[in-house]
Amino acid sequence: MTGVELPPIALQQASDWAFVWENSGYLFAGTALTIALTVASVLLGFFVGFPAGVVEVYGGRASRGLVETVGVVLRGTPIVVILIFMYFVFPTPDLTIGVLGVTASLSGAFLAGVLGLGLRSAAYQSQIFRGALQSVDEGQMEAARSIGMDKLASIRHVVVPQALRRSVPGFQNEVTIVLKDTSVVFAIGLAELLTRSYDLFVVRTTAVLEILLFASAIYFVLTFTTNRALDLVSARYAIPGGESA
Amino acid sequence: MSDPLLRVERVSKSYGDEQVLREISFEMDRGDVTVLIGPSGSGKSTMLRCVNRLTEVDSGEIYLDGERVTGPDVDVNELRRQVGMVFQDFNLFAHLTARGNVMLGPRQVLGLSKEEARRRADEQLALVGLADQADSYPAELSGGQKQRVGIARALAMEPKLMLFDEPTSALDPELIGEVLEVMRDLVERGMTMLVVTHEMSFARSVASEIMFLDGGRIVERGPPEQLFERPEHDRTATFLRRITQLHS
Ligand SMILES: Nc1ncnc2c1ncn2[C@@H]1O[C@H](COP(=O)(O)OP(=O)(O)O)[C@@H](O)[C@H]1O
Ligand SMILES: [Mg+2]
Repeated sequence: MTGVELPPIALQQASDWAFVWENSGYLFAGTALTIALTVASVLLGFFVGFPAGVVEVYGGRASRGLVETVGVVLRGTPIVVILIFMYFVFPTPDLTIGVLGVTASLSGAFLAGVLGLGLRSAAYQSQIFRGALQSVDEGQMEAARSIGMDKLASIRHVVVPQALRRSVPGFQNEVTIVLKDTSVVFAIGLAELLTRSYDLFVVRTTAVLEILLFASAIYFVLTFTTNRALDLVSARYAIPGGESA
Repeated sequence: MSDPLLRVERVSKSYGDEQVLREISFEMDRGDVTVLIGPSGSGKSTMLRCVNRLTEVDSGEIYLDGERVTGPDVDVNELRRQVGMVFQDFNLFAHLTARGNVMLGPRQVLGLSKEEARRRADEQLALVGLADQADSYPAELSGGQKQRVGIARALAMEPKLMLFDEPTSALDPELIGEVLEVMRDLVERGMTMLVVTHEMSFARSVASEIMFLDGGRIVERGPPEQLFERPEHDRTATFLRRITQLHS
C-alpha cells in the first residue's frame, strides 16, 4: 500500500491533542451553552415539576388526572420530537430581556430547547417529588391537621420540608440526565458541547478519541461538581439524628 | 354552665361491612377524665378520631361545649384547635426541634408572633420537664421524651379537651412512668381528658369514669372501683383480668 505516510502514532496523538487545544475555545463556548441549557431546564423543571408532584399526591380528581396525563405524554415522547415540536410547530420568538440595564438576547431555538428539556424534566421531576411526598409518614399530616392546620399549611410546613430532603438523590440523577440530554438540541440547530465535538472530529477524524475524552472530562467535571454541591446542600439540611419521629 | 363539655350522641361508624362504632353515647363534664378500654379493634381509636374529625361519623352527633361539631358546615380547623390529640407513635414533626414542634401550631394556627410562640413553647416544654431538650430533634430524643413533646405540642394550643390514643403503648416499660406522670399533672391542673390506655393502675387512680368498649359498643361503664371490683359483665371481668396480668 502506498499513499499518505502516517506519522508515528505518538506524534500523531500529540498533534491531535494540539488540535483539541486549538479548538478548546470552540468547545468551551459549547460548554457554556450546555450549562445554560441545563440550568434553565432544570429550574423550569423544578418550578413546574414540584407543584405537579404536589397535585399528583394531594390534588382533586380532575387536577390530578390532568397533571398525570400531561406527565405520561411528556415522558412517553422522544425528546427530539418534543424539541422539534417546540421549535417548528409552536415557534418560539427570539427574545430580548433587560434586567437592571443588562440585556440578553435569547434565540428562539434556545428558548425552544429550554421549554422542551424543561417541561420534559418537569414530567420526570414530578415523579421524584411525588414519590418523596408519598414516603412521608401519614402520621405527619395527621398530627399537623390535629393541631388545626389546614391541608395546605400542613403540606407546606410539615410534609414538603421532609419530602424535599428525600428528593435530593433523585434530583441529582435528574440533573445529570438533563445535562447529557442537552446534546439533542442539535435537532433544532443549536451547537452545544457534544455537537461541537462532533463537528470537530468530522474535520479531523484521527482526533475522535482525543476530542471525546476532552468532552467527557468536561461532562465529568460538571456532573461531579453539581453532585458534590447537592451533597453539601443535603448535608447542610440533614435532620440531626435522622428522620424518625 | 351545666352543659357537658363533650356530648357524644348515638355515634355510628362503619368501614365497609364492618361496623366499628354502634350508637355510642356518653358525656364528659369539665375536668372529667374518661378512660376508654377494650380489646384491639374494638373501635377506641375510631371513637377518639371522630371527636376531632380526623374520622367522619356515619350518623349521630358530637357536641363540644354545647356546639355541634359534626355536620358539614363546621370549621374543622377551629374545632381541632380546641381539641388536642396525642398519638400512640408520637408523630412529632421529624424536621423540627422539640421547640419547633410546639411552636408550629401557635405560629401557623393561632397567629402568634415568633417571640410569643417561642415563649409559649418553652413554657410548655418546661411543664413536661423538657426545658433542656428544646433544641433537640425528635430522632435525638427517647420515646418518653418524644411523647412528652407530643403532649406539649397539643397543650400549646390551649385546648379545652385532650385526646390520648394509647400514649404509652409504643414505649419501653421504663419510659412509661415519665409520660404518665406528665398526664397526672395535667389531671391535677383540671384538664378534661379522654384517654385510651391499658395502664390500669393509672386508669384506676385518675379516671372519673371507665368505659369498656367491645365490638363497637360500650359494654360497661362506671367509676373505676365499680368496674374493677364489681364488673357486671363477664366480658369486662375477663378483659380486665387479662390486661392486669399483662401489665404487672
Ligand atoms: N381507615 C380505616 N379503614 C378501614 N378500616 C379501619 C380504618 N380504621 C380502623 N379500621 C378498622 O376499624 C376497627 C376498629 O379500629 P380502631 O378504632 O383502630 O380500634 P382500636 O383502636 O380499638 O384498636 C378495626 O377493625 C380496624 O381494622
Ligand atoms: Mg387504637
